[in-house]
Amino acid sequence: MSSNLALLFHIAWRHLVVRRRQTAVAIGGVAVGVGFFLAVSALMVGSQNDFIKTLISAAPHIIIYDELRSPPPQPGVRIYGGADAAVALHGYKLRNEVRGIKDWQAILRTVNDTPGAIGSPSLSGAVTLRLGGREEPLGIVGIEPGLESKVSDVADKLRAGSLDDLERAQGGVIVGEELARRLGLNMGDIVNATAASGTTKPLRIVGLVKKGNTMIGQSSGYMLLREAQSLLARPFIINRIGVRLTDAYAADDVAHALESRYAYKAESWQERSSDFLSFLVTRNVIMYAVVSAILLVASFGIYTAVSNSVADKRRDIAILRSMGFSQGDLQLVFVFEGLALAMAGVVVGWVLGTALMEALGSLKFPVSGEDQRIPLDRSTRQYLIAAVASLLSGGIAAWLPARKAARVDPVDILRGAI
Amino acid sequence: MSSPGASPPVLACTGLGRTLPADPPVTLVRDVDLAIQPGKFTAIVGPSGCGKSSLLYLLGLIDRPTAGQLLLDGRDLTPLSGDERAAIRLEHFGFVFQFHFLLPEFNALENVALPIRRLGRLHGAAVEARARELLGEVGLAGKELKSPDKLSGGERQRVAIARALANDPRLILGDEPTGNLDSVNSARVVDLFVALAHQQGRAVVCVTHDMGIAERADVRVEMLDGRVVAVKAQ
Ligand SMILES: Nc1ncnc2c1ncn2[C@@H]1O[C@H](COP(=O)(O)OP(=O)(O)O)[C@@H](O)[C@H]1O
Ligand SMILES: [Mg+2]
Repeated sequence: MSSNLALLFHIAWRHLVVRRRQTAVAIGGVAVGVGFFLAVSALMVGSQNDFIKTLISAAPHIIIYDELRSPPPQPGVRIYGGADAAVALHGYKLRNEVRGIKDWQAILRTVNDTPGAIGSPSLSGAVTLRLGGREEPLGIVGIEPGLESKVSDVADKLRAGSLDDLERAQGGVIVGEELARRLGLNMGDIVNATAASGTTKPLRIVGLVKKGNTMIGQSSGYMLLREAQSLLARPFIINRIGVRLTDAYAADDVAHALESRYAYKAESWQERSSDFLSFLVTRNVIMYAVVSAILLVASFGIYTAVSNSVADKRRDIAILRSMGFSQGDLQLVFVFEGLALAMAGVVVGWVLGTALMEALGSLKFPVSGEDQRIPLDRSTRQYLIAAVASLLSGGIAAWLPARKAARVDPVDILRGAI
Repeated sequence: MSSPGASPPVLACTGLGRTLPADPPVTLVRDVDLAIQPGKFTAIVGPSGCGKSSLLYLLGLIDRPTAGQLLLDGRDLTPLSGDERAAIRLEHFGFVFQFHFLLPEFNALENVALPIRRLGRLHGAAVEARARELLGEVGLAGKELKSPDKLSGGERQRVAIARALANDPRLILGDEPTGNLDSVNSARVVDLFVALAHQQGRAVVCVTHDMGIAERADVRVEMLDGRVVAVKAQ
């Protein structure tokens, strides 16, 4: 049986070898499709992985805020009833919740007791920097350097200084390098900061955050937690807890558990970037649509080549049938033609795609003074997907005209020979 | 039909007919009773368009009859499927047509090897040896590796005969096999056919309108308007 398949493939092979130009065009079509699929998907998957890595590592996996998702009913409404009450209340004075996370030590303990989780409390608030006649708003984040460095990658994003330097200098602050440049500040310089409460303190620049490729805003400044609490006049208060997990993808579940236990809004990185993640899905759909279109066009080439071959070979089909080849044999001959074209196209396309990826991978472009390379994902999975999709579409494209070959009636050909 | 004392027929038909489903229907062959003997050279003769080729396609299992029965070694072939008929053609029948019908992508040796490889009884070097032997028998030793377009008309037809003989068939069917050849090549082909019947004991059936060939046949089947009007042993 297998020697019969070898014979049928031999016949198919000879047909292709003789029709060089048509064969080359069909192979070229598949090769271009496969090559571009590999290059495009390496780009798309590579940049997607890069984005997600940034999303996951740039900020804590979960941030617990001093907010409630649905504010509790005001005391007046709680006591006198809601919409169906006998008395409707209008225009009464609303009670403001005191901002800050209550019992935050208990929440932090729960976080740290969760396997694979670690928490870092922080207080954020706004101050105004004054230098000469200029004023510049600054979002202050008070942190415990030892904890914060375990929860976010801010420590890796410093151009100068380190988080520990905050402990060494009275009033130490780490600001974005862009902001420092705008204000003409250098390392070690002192600038006055005024909080909304009216407190003013001199701050000393002990570190600079790199700009670009980071989620840390250029208008934020990092201080020691207790110094921020004193500057913002909120002693012992924190309003955020950042959480890092060993398994970043557990963030949604852990955040949900924390929120349902303590009511404070606990936002996972997935929730924070849900718009972006759904954008990635759309992007993938577009990519696969484009790639399917390329493969479809490539299979048109195979369809044309095999159709023409069947039309040219009607005489040979008739003689093979009269000799004792079956209808199935002849159908296989032409399906083999299509598969051989697809296979050759896949191999050439792999080479082409690899070359394209090499070319893309060797490109360097400067981002904020550093050479960046395009992130590429060169997984064998993409090679296999391209091969399977091409062989499948090539097989179908060849099978359609091959059925015609099987239906050729040798009597018609023999009667009307030449 | 068969002359007294002849061996049993290898192929026989009774009431064989072929009607094309047109409007009105066209009958190509009607009510043919024939017995083809092994070791005999049978010629089918008759005016152009009388249905000789149509009858040969029926006898060779290339076309299906719409009436009657066809028996190979006494076994009824009419109910067989297309694949079963193909398998019988492969093993028991060899065809030679007016045009050689060699596959242009294959050389002489490869063309002859095609049916041997399809049958699958011989493998590798044995296939090639058998194909060489056959080409030698038809006088083409030394031309095995030539492609069909490098051979003369007579040589091509002899490659086609070698191919027809490839699986050692019991029946050789020819449809005007000399129709395209000059008299010298034509005579060589006829000599070959006579030898295949008389020396190798095969049944040879040949459609022809060349009276010279018909003279040399053992049995002459005369046709007119789709019917067999006379069967003459000579
Ligand atoms: N497909 C067809 N439709 C109509 N008539 C046909 C068809 N095929 C053959 N014929 C006719 O059938 C008759 C027999 O043809 P054929 O067997 O080739 O005759 P021969 O071989 O004796 O010359 C001819 O008259 C031919 O024109
Ligand atoms: Mg004819």
